[in-house]
Amino acid sequence: MSNLWRNQKVRNLFLQGLFVAAVLLIVIGGWMNAQQTMQSQRMISGFGFLHKSTGWDVNFSLLPASANDPYWWFFVIGIVNTLFLGVLGLMLATFIGGLVGLARTSSNAMLQLLGRTYVDFFRNIPLILQVFFWYAFVTRLPSVRNAIEIGPMTLSSRGVYIPALNVGGWYLFAAALALVAAVVLPLWTRTTRRIDKPREERRGMVLAALFGSLALVLALLWLGRLPETPLIDVPQLQGLNMRGGLRVSPEFSALLIAIGIYGGAYIGEIVRGGFKAVGRGQTEAAHSLGLSPWQTFSRISLPLALRAMLPILANQYIWLIKATTMGIAIGFTDFFMIVAVTINQSGQTIEAIAILMAGFLAINLTIAAIFNRINKAIALKGNQLRS
Amino acid sequence: MSDPSLASPPAPPGRLIDLRRRYFRTPVQAAISLACLGLLAWLAWGVLNWAVFSAEFSADASPETCRAGAGACWTVIAQRWRIILFGLYPYDEQWRSALACVVVVAMIVLSCLPSFWSGLRLAAVWVLGTAAFYILMKGGIFGLRQIGEDQWGGLALTLFIFVATCLIGFPLSIVFALMRRSKLPVISHGIGLVIDAVRSLPLLSILFAFAVVVPFMLPDFLQGGRLYRVICGAALFFAAYQAEIIRGGLQGVARGQEEAAMSLGMSYRHRVGKILLPQAMRNALPATINQFVISFKETSLVIVVGFFEILASGNAAYGTGEWTFAYREVYAFIALIYFTFVFSLSRYGAYLERRMAVGTR
Amino acid sequence: MTSTDQLPTPAVSIQGMQKFYGSFHALKNIDLTVEKGEKLVICGPSGSGKSTMIRCINRLEEHDGGRITVLGTELNDDVGNIDGIRREVGMVFQHFNLFPHMTVLENCVLAPMLVRKIPRAQAEAAAMRYLEKVRIPEQARKYPGQLSGGQQQRVAIARSLCMEPEILLFDEPTSALDPEMIAEVLDVMVSLASDGMTMICVTHEMGFARRVADRVIFMDAGEIVEMADPETFFGDPKNERTKKFLSQILGH
Repeated sequence: MSNLWRNQKVRNLFLQGLFVAAVLLIVIGGWMNAQQTMQSQRMISGFGFLHKSTGWDVNFSLLPASANDPYWWFFVIGIVNTLFLGVLGLMLATFIGGLVGLARTSSNAMLQLLGRTYVDFFRNIPLILQVFFWYAFVTRLPSVRNAIEIGPMTLSSRGVYIPALNVGGWYLFAAALALVAAVVLPLWTRTTRRIDKPREERRGMVLAALFGSLALVLALLWLGRLPETPLIDVPQLQGLNMRGGLRVSPEFSALLIAIGIYGGAYIGEIVRGGFKAVGRGQTEAAHSLGLSPWQTFSRISLPLALRAMLPILANQYIWLIKATTMGIAIGFTDFFMIVAVTINQSGQTIEAIAILMAGFLAINLTIAAIFNRINKAIALKGNQLRS
Repeated sequence: MSDPSLASPPAPPGRLIDLRRRYFRTPVQAAISLACLGLLAWLAWGVLNWAVFSAEFSADASPETCRAGAGACWTVIAQRWRIILFGLYPYDEQWRSALACVVVVAMIVLSCLPSFWSGLRLAAVWVLGTAAFYILMKGGIFGLRQIGEDQWGGLALTLFIFVATCLIGFPLSIVFALMRRSKLPVISHGIGLVIDAVRSLPLLSILFAFAVVVPFMLPDFLQGGRLYRVICGAALFFAAYQAEIIRGGLQGVARGQEEAAMSLGMSYRHRVGKILLPQAMRNALPATINQFVISFKETSLVIVVGFFEILASGNAAYGTGEWTFAYREVYAFIALIYFTFVFSLSRYGAYLERRMAVGTR
Repeated sequence: MTSTDQLPTPAVSIQGMQKFYGSFHALKNIDLTVEKGEKLVICGPSGSGKSTMIRCINRLEEHDGGRITVLGTELNDDVGNIDGIRREVGMVFQHFNLFPHMTVLENCVLAPMLVRKIPRAQAEAAAMRYLEKVRIPEQARKYPGQLSGGQQQRVAIARSLCMEPEILLFDEPTSALDPEMIAEVLDVMVSLASDGMTMICVTHEMGFARRVADRVIFMDAGEIVEMADPETFFGDPKNERTKKFLSQILGH
């Protein structure tokens, strides 16, 4: 026996077997216990509940929702809400982060100080505290009657009212897609290696892609316009209420502000790190070749810095998407809140958690895949960045 | 070459010239500098004016007069600070809660001293510190009245969750990291799957799962209190992230180190404990401190699974009755507490990183 | 034991050893016996498998076929055998592999204290003795990073000696050193050899081989191509590959 234990191969097999056994014990034991608990509570395990109607409502949805809808539709709504909030939050955070990062890398010491103050302040306070603060802030705005008007926007305790488009739902969706295309297509045409054309022709194609997409956006909006209404619907106070426009709920705006500001601080640091990773020699070489500061920035520093920061940025984006789960603290119906309420209402705990895990796994993998594609497309050949 | 009378040594630029060069090199730069300066001054004035100059400090001002003032109303803090810091802990025993918080701060400060950086000493500090904290808070011995976990709250609860999370999560992270670099494929892939799964989930969902799902899956005698289940969830999350940091640190240790230890006949336990981990932890120190900072900030998420930690007690402090307007003051107070902890820790981490960068090259 | 009384157990005996990296055949059918007290020098072009061979002797690499017996103990899956052999076989590496977070003295006493359970005072006394032998006792309280390459390699030799091994393996001990430091390390190795240590050295220092070696081995493409005493090896090599290698390495 002792001889057997002294054998390396036997020992390795035994240790691995032990590990597998422990994992199986946890999984199977947990599963059986769960079955038992559910039976004693007279519940049916499995995903059959997905087709039952929920009996409760959501307070924010981009898609049509009612209490009669089945659970699976609510999960879809939750994911769409999470993605909507997440993507807008990412865009805001990236915009703020870009500004902060540039401020922190600028040659002007005063600007650096400003950027640093921003980062140090917002990064060192927990996000959820900031979410609570902004929620308290937006719900304490003046009532609708005394609402604050900023241009076409109206801020009130019932929410922020912004101008909306009087355009049918699917047309609006298509127009939004076309707008995305207007950004992506020209960039793709400009950078892809698939098109092998001289510079002038390529520039023509880029312009064609840009204006084509923009024209498509306008055409779609025009086609989908609701009859006998102005294209742009500006919110207006009528009596005690706001008429027209789009109401952004306080929960949504609080989360968006908090995620944008907090994420901006982190992304600012990533941007700074990216520029720091560009060797001094690169910019010096550019200067010595007679490139202007702007040319050096746009042709040398920025492209190199972008490559350095992309992988970290991907992680940060995933983190920010996960941060949308804080919506539950103030009652925004994101994916996680839908799951939590489902567990509360239907008791299908394990199934709902499994759906939650699958959903976030899918989101994470998608972001990672997108960034991997971008990374691969723009990666430097060989290992030039290392030197 | 040149006339000797001209060759007086060039003086270093004076402060004024230096200032001009840094802030006012070109008109555009000057404009930017002035704009930033203006913005900063405006912000500083706004904050100071609100928090100090126009603020109401007296402890017994009525909410109405307080609200009418232009600045902050610190009266709410003066009247409600005990709720924010100690939650529902019995009033007469709150000194114990305060003392427990001091113990935690002392523990953190001790862990930052390089003379305490050995596995044994750190373990001693943390185990003893946590035990002292627990005894102070829970009581039941030494003539202290027993006070159940359901009555803990505020800052003390926040700190307890953080400390317990680290105390369980840190050793766990080392185990995870070692398992992940194991040569046995089943173990390394298996634990890799667990780590990646945990990392891909939001912390909130894990806390929620441990609070709600685990009672389903475990027999009654294994469940433990809700607080301890949530702490286990947070510890698992911490361990999954920290394990990757330690793994990075281990990868930074030259391969030859382990081979040298092997060729000297050292056992696995000694190789890991004496050679690999000390070097890996040194490599991973800045990232580790960063992880502690993140983990401390994320402690506040337990509010969502229904614990009366500092944020929840803060919500309660202004949420009722006549102080509902005073959310800014309460959140500023809590933010200041978090900021003090987090900022000093992350500054310390940055200092260590700089010091190490100098040391290696 | 009784049957082998006349023939003392060899320090290392390798029979028909094979080693694969995936499908690459790194060592082909190696047969080699090293007697106690013998000094063996192994040379050959890079990638010829010489390092792999000596790393198999203390199981830094696992061999895939054949038998390796060290000091009468067979090297197999038995963990006790592996530990026992590693205690008796020291190794000096190309890149020293000193533990950077410990002082020179701590480097030297660590393994004796942990593995041989020698009390600290005794281990330190022994360590100082060996540090004197490699002629750097004054550096005992310094950290490896504060020493020159040659000094570090001498510390590494002292560290191995502290375990009082029967056999010392040298894996290109001077390849990572600046030219002016090679001599100080070779001097230490020569004095070790005169003390009767069993030494297996992978090295390109042909002067050292000529002076110290009992036998010289030339390896190429995972095989032992030629094995002879230094005089024959350098004076009258038989194999074409050996001749070519020697002309390249001694040519300038």
